Amino acid sequence: MSISVELPALGESVVEGTVARWLVAEGEAVDLDQPLVEVTTDKVDAEVPSPAAGVIEKILVAEGETVAVGAQLAVIGSVSRAQQGATPAPAAAEVAAPESPVAGPPAVDPEPKATPVARRLAEEAALDLAAVEATGAGGRITKHDVLRHADTRSVAPAPAPALAPAAATAGTPAASPPWARYERQDGDRVVAMTPQRRLIAQHMVYSKRTSPHVGTVAEIDMGGVAALRQQHKSGFQKTHGVALTFLPFIVHATVRALRDYPALNASVMDEAIVEKRAIHVGIAVETEKGLLVPVVRHADRLSLAGIAAAIEDLSSRARAKKLSPDELRGGTITISNPGRMGNLYGFAIINQPQVAILRMGEMVKRPVVRSVAGEDAIVIRPMMHLALSYDHRAVDGQPANGFLFRIRELLESAEVEL
Amino acid sequence: MAADAVLLLEHPPVVTLGRSARPENLLVTPEQLEARGIELYETARGGDITYHAPGQLVGYPIVDLAERDQRDVHVFLRGLETMLIEVLAGFGVACEPVEGMTGVFVRRKAPGERARKIASIGIGLRRWVTWHGFALNVSLDLSAFEVIVPCGLQGVDMTSLTVELERAGCVVPADLDARVRTSIAAALQDRWG
Repeated sequence: MSISVELPALGESVVEGTVARWLVAEGEAVDLDQPLVEVTTDKVDAEVPSPAAGVIEKILVAEGETVAVGAQLAVIGSVSRAQQGATPAPAAAEVAAPESPVAGPPAVDPEPKATPVARRLAEEAALDLAAVEATGAGGRITKHDVLRHADTRSVAPAPAPALAPAAATAGTPAASPPWARYERQDGDRVVAMTPQRRLIAQHMVYSKRTSPHVGTVAEIDMGGVAALRQQHKSGFQKTHGVALTFLPFIVHATVRALRDYPALNASVMDEAIVEKRAIHVGIAVETEKGLLVPVVRHADRLSLAGIAAAIEDLSSRARAKKLSPDELRGGTITISNPGRMGNLYGFAIINQPQVAILRMGEMVKRPVVRSVAGEDAIVIRPMMHLALSYDHRAVDGQPANGFLFRIRELLESAEVEL
Repeated sequence: MAADAVLLLEHPPVVTLGRSARPENLLVTPEQLEARGIELYETARGGDITYHAPGQLVGYPIVDLAERDQRDVHVFLRGLETMLIEVLAGFGVACEPVEGMTGVFVRRKAPGERARKIASIGIGLRRWVTWHGFALNVSLDLSAFEVIVPCGLQGVDMTSLTVELERAGCVVPADLDARVRTSIAAALQDRWG
């Protein structure tokens, strides 16, 4: 029997192709999958593999001629059934491996056909390839088939392969839509992002897309803490060698509040919530290179002085670019202290894979109403807003508010060992 | 099939002929090319004639389109174009594809303006695995393009990122080549990583 070689469809918008070069001649014996002819279309050069083993009976399109997709390019003769590919080849696509050259009806495949990547994935995910529906060329199982199968079985998919589409895993946005594209205007100066900036950008986009952020704010009377700090400032500096700022007080109160509200010390993993036992607090630090978040490990085991020393050490080394990568990993909650300059409050973006981030507002003296000797009175107190962003996938309003107001309670009572 | 990969590199001065190259688009003799220190090669990519030299970032993405279920070579070509346009926008140069011509062109302000080509594309396909790719003119000396009719396109001038930045009165960063390479690598990673 004979079989025809057709111009393959190389894409939806590709309607024709030009034969650039024949790699075989009439009368020549060819193997299954052997490249027969190079065709070009627009800016693409593609080889058409032989759909079967046999002999080139006739070449129908000369070099330089342009024909439509599907047009006959050549005829291969003396094709025995056993030598023919499993399917009338979708040409340039992968073609199934040759059947065993034994005459007679082809035996049932003992092993399902799959691409090497698909095979590896299935192995890693402990999936039976025989149960996976194949959509690939020549009835092969592709990577996508394996992933789809894993999804439908709700099996935790294998660790994302390095080649998984970036948009799905890295959270990077796809190409900008036309209405969001940059158009140059006079005076613009465009500066490429530094790698650091790019990482931050990717993380922020990923976090916003992944976690439904909810914000809530507490207004905290820092009078007690301010008095305590004033009282111990110089002694603390002498004893511990570090300045006593407000930040350690916030960290100290946060880790204690986390003990009462562990839901905020967690991670979301697929469809599970991981409750973290250890409390590691990330401290956002502005550096020349951008934002860094070194981690105070086991902050709940540290005294106020221990926390102050750890923050001082980490932030000075962050600015000197002397942090090790490990010191930037493993945080379970983050605190951001963007400083003064009229910053009332604002909601930070969650540092993934955590579920909560606190952002300190500027401390300012404000008139507030207090009960003095049974009478309402307006008094002047140093007030600070503390804003909590939390991941509503993992945390509901009640624990989130409870956590924030517990921090307020702890700070307002200002009962800290010094 | 091993992992998808991309080769980012610069070629020494060389003229290459694609599968659709017409001999008349080489405007000098092979001997004259040699005298200028330019090599000549035939390659199995689509497209006509082009020129490579240091200062031009050449990228060869090797992507298995079948494995990704993206068996459409035009979609891949347009993806390369869009990727280059986005990267160039990041450097402040607005570009566009031009109907009927593969490659990336600087956006024209007036209708009569000659097309200025900043990047060329020509790919090969073997069993749905891509090879060859794109060449983005960053800082190379454009005068050598005079030996050919680039890509066989009449009425098109070749340009480079440096030329376009200077034209727009922008500062050309000293480390432009490295920055472009970083941006291209990231953009490729985003799209096909």
